[in-house]
Amino acid sequence: MDHGIHIEGLSKRYGDGDTAVEALKDVNMRIAPGEVVGLVGPSGSGKTTLLKCLGAVIEPTRGRMTLGGEVIYDSEQGGWKTPDLRALRRDRIGFIFQAPYLIPFLDVTDNVALLPMLAGRANSASRARALDLLRALDVAHRAGAQPSELSGGEQQRVSIARALANQPPVILADEPTAPLDSQRALAVVRILNQMANQYQTAIIVVTHDEKIIPTFKRIYHIRDGRTVEEAGEGREIS
Amino acid sequence: MKSSFDRRATLIAAAVGLVAILVLFVARSGPLASMRVTVAPAARADLAPLLFGIGVVEARRSYLVGPTTAGRVRQVAVDVGEVVKAGQLLAEMDPIDLDQRLAATSAAARRAKNAVDTAAAQLADSGARREVAAANARRYEELGRKGFVSSSVTEGKTQEMNSASAQFAAAEAALAGARQDLARLDAERAGAQQQRGNLRLLAPAGGVVTARDAEPGSTVVAGQAVVRLVAADSLWLKMRLDQQRSAGLQVGLPAEIVLRSRPGQVLPGKVARIEMLSDSVTEERIALVAFETPPKDVSVGEMSEITLRQPLVKQALAVPGAALRLRGGKTGVWVLRDDEPGFVAVKAGISGADGKVQILDGLKEGDAVIVHSEGELTEGSRIKVVSAIAGT
Amino acid sequence: MISLAGRDILHSWGKFVLTGIGLGLLIGATLTMAGVYRGMVDDARVLLTNSGADIWVVQKDTQGPYAESSSIRDDVYRGLLGMSGVAQAANVTYLTMQVRHGARESRSMVVGFEPGQPGEPGYLVAGRRLLRGHFEAIADVKTGFKLGERIRIRRHEYEVVGLTRRMVSSGGDPMVFIPLKDAQEAQFLKDNDAIIADRARTTANPALNRPGVPGLLDAVTASQTVNHSVNAVLVKVGAGDTAASVAQEIRRWKHVQAYTREQMEEILIAKLIATSAKQIGMFLAILTVVSAAIVAFIIYTMTLGKIREIAVLKLIGTRNRTIAGMILQQALGLGLIGFIVGKISATLWAPAFPKYVLLETADAMRALVIVMVVCALASTLAIRAALKVDPATAIGG
Repeated sequence: MDHGIHIEGLSKRYGDGDTAVEALKDVNMRIAPGEVVGLVGPSGSGKTTLLKCLGAVIEPTRGRMTLGGEVIYDSEQGGWKTPDLRALRRDRIGFIFQAPYLIPFLDVTDNVALLPMLAGRANSASRARALDLLRALDVAHRAGAQPSELSGGEQQRVSIARALANQPPVILADEPTAPLDSQRALAVVRILNQMANQYQTAIIVVTHDEKIIPTFKRIYHIRDGRTVEEAGEGREIS
Repeated sequence: MKSSFDRRATLIAAAVGLVAILVLFVARSGPLASMRVTVAPAARADLAPLLFGIGVVEARRSYLVGPTTAGRVRQVAVDVGEVVKAGQLLAEMDPIDLDQRLAATSAAARRAKNAVDTAAAQLADSGARREVAAANARRYEELGRKGFVSSSVTEGKTQEMNSASAQFAAAEAALAGARQDLARLDAERAGAQQQRGNLRLLAPAGGVVTARDAEPGSTVVAGQAVVRLVAADSLWLKMRLDQQRSAGLQVGLPAEIVLRSRPGQVLPGKVARIEMLSDSVTEERIALVAFETPPKDVSVGEMSEITLRQPLVKQALAVPGAALRLRGGKTGVWVLRDDEPGFVAVKAGISGADGKVQILDGLKEGDAVIVHSEGELTEGSRIKVVSAIAGT
Repeated sequence: MISLAGRDILHSWGKFVLTGIGLGLLIGATLTMAGVYRGMVDDARVLLTNSGADIWVVQKDTQGPYAESSSIRDDVYRGLLGMSGVAQAANVTYLTMQVRHGARESRSMVVGFEPGQPGEPGYLVAGRRLLRGHFEAIADVKTGFKLGERIRIRRHEYEVVGLTRRMVSSGGDPMVFIPLKDAQEAQFLKDNDAIIADRARTTANPALNRPGVPGLLDAVTASQTVNHSVNAVLVKVGAGDTAASVAQEIRRWKHVQAYTREQMEEILIAKLIATSAKQIGMFLAILTVVSAAIVAFIIYTMTLGKIREIAVLKLIGTRNRTIAGMILQQALGLGLIGFIVGKISATLWAPAFPKYVLLETADAMRALVIVMVVCALASTLAIRAALKVDPATAIGG
């Protein structure tokens, strides 16, 4: 069980001396490929910091992170394993945001195909994969449309497709259902589960959305920088 | 997909259009643009060369009437514009003391006449005395020979006779002197009278008064004009032609005269005289042009334009004069051969009234010659033949 | 590789094209300004070329006849013709005046020339050359005259028999060519009232109006009305002689000033239009700075509007190079559109200018390079702003 996400003793301290704030305190997590877990906690609990550390945007103070079987960070061994964090993000992490944040000047296909293209893959192959993903997400009929022409749900599905485009072992979803009503929110969660299953991706969903919390099989509660793992209800989505 | 492609196609079309417009503009207005020209063939034509000059109306005969001696003007009898006849009084000078001098010489003459009379009487008297003395002398000589009187008496009588003869001769001389004196005084009086007559200024010929240069009371010197006359029937034009453009000038050429006062009217005339002397300062030749029929009310000194028509040169090979260009010191024309302009040196002859120039050498009939162009031509100029470039 | 810049331009092409057109009009104004300067230089060159002379002989110690006024006797040319190396010498007069054409007046330069000699217009666009020695004229098309119309210059009327083109004074005023003798008269003959007043003055002068000398007054008044002056003598040098050596000889012996073509260009371009050239140079510099500022602001504003997208792009792994490249390409694209629009608009409105505007291809190429460099520099502001965006801001809103 080396794939997926494995976090050991992760800490993050902002600032020095008296003003130092311990945002994360010895966090441990382990998520298997194809598993969707919730990360729940009130504002200021440290869940965004954890997401940023996982997303290789900020550097943790201590600890070890393994993604898809590879150690990406180890404070004992000089921090990040690769200096090119952007390539790391591009190739190994998929991001889903609160809002879809699609690139407005690219059409739907190009928005999804953008990452593989940036990674240097052939345009046609990237587009073909993008179309596959869109089909899987049931938005293939809007492939040539501009993002502004899509509904909110369609946009969010396209953004999920984008996160999957590079077949990352991990997807980080930051409040992906916040702007949606409960029906659409549940639909998004269902898709995430489906995708996690289909592409064997480990998905962390950061949320405080009461509508979807009952759907997770496993939930990490975070409070004052510490995580507590508990089993979720794992309710089926109709 | 479709809408995206549509937009792309539109934009690409717009970009291509924009670049096409740019290329079009560069090609049409930049250094790559072709020069527009007009073309005319070298063709046979009748050329009517003309000479052109400026003329001033002058009188062939004009008179300056003035006194022969300095004096003051007493009266001027005529005014400008008056027509006068020969011998008519124009003006009179003030005689001042001339009349008094005339009276004095008359009196002196009369007195001389009296002196002649006196001398003649004296001569008669001395003649009578001489007769008496001679008779006495003869009688006493007779008596002396006969011895009636002494010889001394006789000699006294002879001496008396000689004395009377001498007195007679003296009286004769006195009479001759008195007569000469009379003749002199007569002549003097006649002279004074003549002078008096000269103070009357008379018209030497019939004509029109053109100027009244002095008024009564003003003093003029000998030779200064008081009144000017011109003979009205002798008006002609003094024409000045540029020496450069005076070839073919000859007496008898028909002339078209346009007076400045009547620009629309062409008066016929012809060259009456050509002056031998040119004006070396203005580089002009001078010819005199007579009116066929002198117009009325023409003013002396009026300016005119005169065109002289030379005889037609028939069927001369000619091109429009604007086609002639100067290039590297050579006169020539640009000939269009296979749509390429080429410079051909030519020898130009006379030019006609319509601006055509005779070509003596260098072209053959039918050669297409570039007449007008938008700029200086060179070999390899890109040209475009049009019917007219501008401004016609 | 996908062109982010191109897609962005395609996406908001309306804004982009409108901005490009606005910038283009500004670039057009800049190009026109350069064209105005080139036109002035070209006017001066054309003036010299059209006169067909190798040497200009003018009054001693003047820089005439174009830059300063010059007056020399009209028989000087005969002496010049006698010099070795002189092939042709012809008198010429220049008189700048208002020529009336119908109800409107236009400023023109009246040139008096001798047909067939240097100073004659080299080519016509319509009509014929002068045939008569008087009262005919050849006019530049810019004067607006047509063939057969009559021009009034001072007291005489001249018939337009020929039209020419690009015959202008150094100030850009179109020329009217008339025969030398008429021009001399037009230049120096006073109006009738002045002549009559002069005559009265002379008559009142006892030294000139002496009772004992009849004819003196007439002679004096006649000598007052004739004119034997011209502004310059144009000399053509024979084959085998250099203009410089002949000019040197003329200066040495004839008590006049002689300028060669190079010296004349120096006078006209370096001296006569120097201030105008600096003026235009200033204007060009300012226009360039303004254009650069506008491009910088436009690109900066466009970039600021995309900060969120840039953060997302960075977060999902786009390289700085790709983002900088996008902004740079957009700036260059804007510059290219601006240049094309500017070139077209300058070409379109240049003929409408009253003076000659010469748009040189070399200038256009230079402008293109400058526009591109300026756009690249202007985009650095936006690129710096884009690179400073923290990808972390995409997370946690």
